[in-house]
Amino acid sequence: MPDGLFTFFAALTLGAALLLVLSRNAVTSAMGMILALVGIAADFFLLDAYFLGVLQVLVYAGAVMVLFLFIIMLLDTDDATGAYPWKTAALGLATFFLLAAGVIWLFHWSGAVSPTPAGATPPELSANPAEFTTAAKSFGRLLYTKYLLPLEIAGFLLLVALVGVVSLSKDAPEGQA
Amino acid sequence: MPPDFSSLVHWILFLPLGAALFIALFLRRAGTLAAWLSTGVAFAIAALALRLLTVTSADTLWHVELAKLGGISLGFGYLIDANARLMLFVVSFVAAWIHLFSVGYMQDDDARGRFFGGLSIFMFSILGIVVADNLLMTFVFWELVGFSSYMLIAHYFDKDEAAEASKKAFIVNRLGDLGFILGIAFCLAHHGTLNFAELGALKPVAGWPWLLGALLMCGFIGKSAQFPLHVWLTDAMAGPTPVSALIHAATMVAAGVYFMARISFLMTDEVLGFIAISGAGMAALAGLCALAQTDIKKSLAYSTLAHLGIMGCAIGLHRPDLAVLHMAMHAFFKATLFLGAGSVIHGCHHEQDMLKMGGLARKMPVTAATFIAATLSNCAVPFLAGWYSKDAIIEAAHHHNLYLFALLALAALATCLYSARMVRLVFFGPANSAAAEHAHESPWTMTTPLVVLGLVFSVAAGIAAPALIPASALARVAAPLHEMAFHATAPATLVGGLALILGAFAFRYYGRAAGVDSLRADLPRVYGLLEFRWMDTFYGWVVASVQRRVAEFIAFLDLLLINGVAVRWLGAGIPAVIGYLAGRTLHRGQTRLYALSLVAGTLLLAWYFLAR
Amino acid sequence: MESTTLVHHLLLAGLLFAVGLTGVLLRRNLLVVTMCLELMLAASTLAMVAFSRFNHKMDGAIFVFFVITVAAAEVAVGLALIVALYRRRGTIQSDALNTLRD
Repeated sequence: MPDGLFTFFAALTLGAALLLVLSRNAVTSAMGMILALVGIAADFFLLDAYFLGVLQVLVYAGAVMVLFLFIIMLLDTDDATGAYPWKTAALGLATFFLLAAGVIWLFHWSGAVSPTPAGATPPELSANPAEFTTAAKSFGRLLYTKYLLPLEIAGFLLLVALVGVVSLSKDAPEGQA
Repeated sequence: MPPDFSSLVHWILFLPLGAALFIALFLRRAGTLAAWLSTGVAFAIAALALRLLTVTSADTLWHVELAKLGGISLGFGYLIDANARLMLFVVSFVAAWIHLFSVGYMQDDDARGRFFGGLSIFMFSILGIVVADNLLMTFVFWELVGFSSYMLIAHYFDKDEAAEASKKAFIVNRLGDLGFILGIAFCLAHHGTLNFAELGALKPVAGWPWLLGALLMCGFIGKSAQFPLHVWLTDAMAGPTPVSALIHAATMVAAGVYFMARISFLMTDEVLGFIAISGAGMAALAGLCALAQTDIKKSLAYSTLAHLGIMGCAIGLHRPDLAVLHMAMHAFFKATLFLGAGSVIHGCHHEQDMLKMGGLARKMPVTAATFIAATLSNCAVPFLAGWYSKDAIIEAAHHHNLYLFALLALAALATCLYSARMVRLVFFGPANSAAAEHAHESPWTMTTPLVVLGLVFSVAAGIAAPALIPASALARVAAPLHEMAFHATAPATLVGGLALILGAFAFRYYGRAAGVDSLRADLPRVYGLLEFRWMDTFYGWVVASVQRRVAEFIAFLDLLLINGVAVRWLGAGIPAVIGYLAGRTLHRGQTRLYALSLVAGTLLLAWYFLAR
Repeated sequence: MESTTLVHHLLLAGLLFAVGLTGVLLRRNLLVVTMCLELMLAASTLAMVAFSRFNHKMDGAIFVFFVITVAAAEVAVGLALIVALYRRRGTIQSDALNTLRD
């Protein structure tokens, strides 16, 4: 059995995710999403990945979700009208149960993943840069050595996204708006 | 460990690419700037190549592997041996002066940016061929050269003639390159390597040792305009004259010769014999054909064909060193001849018909002097550049095979005939048209290259060879020099003397009547035979009758089998049924269905790879 | 205190992923669909951190860093697309966006 904190946050995350999916109101969905992301961040903490947990809260719950809320407010879309396509709903639910069953089978019953505990708490810093450590410093060390090129590419990707967003959100030309 | 000069080669190779890119991106409209940038880069390369030539006599090897496919290594590298250093210098030096000439020649052209960008791309490509250390890299640059040649021939693309000529050059070259790439595949299959150095160390393969050489020879035949793929070269004269000088006289067509010299160890006796015979035959024939051309550039093009034949013959005679030497000498004097022709054409307001020129010696003294000097070199007057290499080849042919010797002797005679005719018609006698009447000397940008290439290199290259040609290349030049100085025997000298006497006779002969070709007046049938384009007519017949029939038959099969059975029945029938069903169920414009199929597909793939 | 194993984390990640996917399939509001996509990404990062922690290797965690970066860029562009779509078509309901059907 897992420990109490994990059970609590897992339940919270799953519940929030369900709220996200099932709520008919977009703002409620966004709230559910924030909660779920915080839950995932909490799980990162439980996994001793403190830096990633903080990052998750800052970037996702902080920045990304605020953006979502702004857009929801800006567009102010009415909820879908008309009959809900029950066939697709049935299809979606069937997919969910199939997938969930598959996940449980793959990770739990098939025995493919060994259920051994994680072992000792990881060190804060280690001489071996590849070893799992908790300090943010160890991220920096790897990011600027082994993963320097991906880091640069990621930075460039952000720039490209920035330019793309600017050009996308320019006013549409006359007659096309 | 010799010092490493690969960085120097990097500069030589990539400077022109940089210039071409810069012109293509920023200087398309700024013609003057593009012209000077391209010219400056060309001179910089010439200086670097001269440094490479003088500073070292050791081979430079540099290689980087780009990809490894199975056991096959594809790479990019340099193999700079003595031949390559000489060729680098000749190409870049001649090209630099031709660039300068172009600045003047193309002064009034609107598309100068494109033209000089094309020249720079061409420089990059040809230098790539020179330095390449493996067959595949050679092939890539080989095709780049073909592309830039195509682009530059078609510079006046609004003229039908130029557009057709560029197309013809491109297609004919593809025929040769088909053999080339098959040769590369064959080489990979049998030797497992494409590297020149590794190939050189291998023993000849069992099986068909001649096939590899024969296939690679196809590329040479196409690029160097050897028989039977020579037809494109005369048409290529539709391009601007500097292009004719640079690509179709001095460098590109010579690249084939250089390439053959580089892989001469892959050639077997059968292949070499074929090259020798076809080369010598073409030399003789093309020399005679030059007599029946009134267009000054076409006449020069036939002269180039003749010299390419001589170089091919030298390769066939197991003397690639002589071929490379003649290529270098030929580059100097033929570039001068073409530039001189360009200057004449420029001076006569784009008149290319020799019969309409005349008396230009007084109006264009510098052009005339350099043209005549280069012509004498072309005729192999003793102690001029052409003499050393050409007579050495004739001499070698005499030692080897009497028939080849006879053909080359005929070529030498023809050379003197058409040269005398050209000089007589263009520069002496009365002016035969208003354009020639009002001819004027060209600006300094055009005459300087003429003087440098013509006087210094066509004339003095032979006399002052030890002083002008730096030490590292000397070994390559010195051997034929000695051969000429001490072992020149009667036959070659006899042929040379006879040719010069004939030339003098021709000079008088063509002076008889103005505005008329004397040979055409006296012997119209002979003239007609020489003017008639045999191979073009033959190809026309093949395409119209043979290839068309085959194509029609294949088209019929295509209609019946591919269109009828495969496409209509299988190709269209089955997808139509599936498409109908799928269109009804899948393509309903519902994003979520697409998402679902995406996930299903991903899971299937994951299952396949994990459960395997 | 009982111990949490890799299995538990993977189960949580897998279920979150399944919930997210269901949302993508069920919901018609493109904004919510995008949020569900983000949830799926977050679920996969959870699995990656778990693997990283239980194998004592840093690389998985580093990869999560990149996933977050890419996800942020994706959200920015995706939202801009949705806004542009709304401006042009006046709706962001996926059912209404079936112009290419025919």
